[in-house]
Amino acid sequence: MKKLNYLPLVAGAVLLASTALSHAKDSYTIGVSNTVQGNGWREEMVCAMKAEALASGKVSKLNIAHRNTDAAGQLEDIRNLISAGVDAIVVNPADPSGVNAALAEAAKAGIVVVAVDQGVTEPSAYVISNNQEEYAYLGAKWLFETIGGKGEVVYMRGAAGASADSDRDKGFKRALAEFPDVKVAHEVFTGWQQDQGKQQILDFIATGIPFDGIWTSGIDNVIVDALVESQATLVPVVGADNAGFVGQLNKVEGLKGAAVTNPGSIGGAGVALALQILEGQKPASQTVLVDPELWENVTPEGKAKLAAAADPSLSAEWPVSISIPNWTHYTKEQIVACKGPGE
Amino acid sequence: MSRFLRRQGWVAGLFVLFLALLVVTRLIQPGYGAADFGSLARAVLPYAFAVAAQTVVVLAGGIDLSVAAMMALTSVTAAALMAGASEEFALAVVPFVLALGFALGAMNGALIVVSRVPDIVVTLATLFMLQGAALLVLDAPGGGAAEWLKALIVGTVPIPGLPGAVTDWIPKALVVLVICLAVVWIPLRRSRLGLSLYAIGSSDLAAFRSGVPVARTKILAYALGGLFAAMGGLTLTMSTGIGAPIPGPYLLASVAAVVLGGVALGGGRGGLLGPIIAVFVLRLVRTDLTLLAVDPNVTTIIEGVIMVVVVMLGALVAMRGRTP
Repeated sequence: MKKLNYLPLVAGAVLLASTALSHAKDSYTIGVSNTVQGNGWREEMVCAMKAEALASGKVSKLNIAHRNTDAAGQLEDIRNLISAGVDAIVVNPADPSGVNAALAEAAKAGIVVVAVDQGVTEPSAYVISNNQEEYAYLGAKWLFETIGGKGEVVYMRGAAGASADSDRDKGFKRALAEFPDVKVAHEVFTGWQQDQGKQQILDFIATGIPFDGIWTSGIDNVIVDALVESQATLVPVVGADNAGFVGQLNKVEGLKGAAVTNPGSIGGAGVALALQILEGQKPASQTVLVDPELWENVTPEGKAKLAAAADPSLSAEWPVSISIPNWTHYTKEQIVACKGPGE
Repeated sequence: MSRFLRRQGWVAGLFVLFLALLVVTRLIQPGYGAADFGSLARAVLPYAFAVAAQTVVVLAGGIDLSVAAMMALTSVTAAALMAGASEEFALAVVPFVLALGFALGAMNGALIVVSRVPDIVVTLATLFMLQGAALLVLDAPGGGAAEWLKALIVGTVPIPGLPGAVTDWIPKALVVLVICLAVVWIPLRRSRLGLSLYAIGSSDLAAFRSGVPVARTKILAYALGGLFAAMGGLTLTMSTGIGAPIPGPYLLASVAAVVLGGVALGGGRGGLLGPIIAVFVLRLVRTDLTLLAVDPNVTTIIEGVIMVVVVMLGALVAMRGRTP
């Protein structure tokens, strides 16, 4: 009789051992879902995911659903990844709440879900994201201070209706409220497209309306090109830490500007976080926010940071922050090669 | 029988292709089961309604480039109205949004009939107008959806007398799709209007000389297209729980499925079943490519190649069938 009592315990131990075994496997498959294709930032993000998966040595296969689509299309992609039986899904969400249904289904199927770049409201998902509101606030505040706290600025936003754009808009408006004498001369959506942004600023220069500064949502180097080519006054320009723009801040004579970091390598950090959770190490908080930094070329300290960050070997549209300390483990060669496990 | 096969040969062929793809999917992923089929049905929903909208218009000899923008506008309208509102209020929102789609479609048709500007130009213009209007309703993704509306496409339909193993393969999303399409399409197909629709699609001059009211039929065709687009917009809100003002990839997908579904782009020939099965085929191809972890930059090439090959094969078979 006494012996019988041990049975559940033994069974439990066996069960534990078997789950421990299944957790300790060293060849995970990780699914990736991304809904913007052909954009330098997103390409770097995907390459960082591949590089981190390769460098970790724990991923046997990456299953990447990467196309231009909407939240409904992302629901489809995530459900396909669930069907594929992946161990974890790293997702750059098309919308903070629009893909919750599929993320909850994934969590229910025992899949670890990590959202990168933008947050999601689904409570079971982990989030590792750049702080988009802070990104805009930091750059806008620097711009308004640099033009002397008054004047007209051109506000070149991202894609109309995108959540990262509306978050950045909040940060921009917050900075604008602190400088009552700064006015927005012209507001335009670049759609995060280089050619479109350049055409828009050329059109605006052609109107002859004076302006004192330009804030961009990351379509930056072509704006400086346009100012130089059309021989307009080189007003201060704020952009992201894209390799091309950082190079211009170092080299273009008379250009005042600032780059705000928005690392695309957050994708690699997302894969690293997913692997940690799969190995049983849960992070202290469900949401990890990476705060941006501002590098300007006015003070000597800022110039030093920009000079250290410059990397002409990268594609002009790639952010220079190709790794995130304490999170990513790959080498520069690995991310530039952009090869995942088994490729 | 042979007449039936000749008329429905294309649809039957597509259906066989779909079944074959299901088998392939099972081979790639042995665990592919009823729940995954439910996911497929939900993914199909917005595409299916976009395709239905395009089919009605193409059959009548037109083309509607504003389909995706109309879906975005109706989706954000529904989401904006339902945000923070009571569950019962959604009962009024659904017919309102459907009526809105019908009216916007009728506007497209009326503009084409009155102005005599080609369909492609008018609907291109309304594409931009509706896109802008969607951004006026919601400048960023947002809004809400009633819980009962969201639940309408989640899970399966229990049918008394049928075992669970069977009903598991009848997802609610599929039932919703079939009912919504049938309620509009079957009466239409059997009515004078349906006949007129095919007639003006074949030749509007011949139809006019036979006493078919060409202008009215064309406007109604576009209005029904708008109605289907509004259904598509509603399914977007139902599946995501929000409305997104930027149109999704539904315009090109709708034209692709219309062609793959055996509808003549010139109008007058084809049905609704073919394009709908074509949507299932195209979505399942996407699933297979994800299951196989094919390089994402190659997937669209593969999707395009499959379309061309299937349409070409179909044309070849049709040509052979004609030679005595």
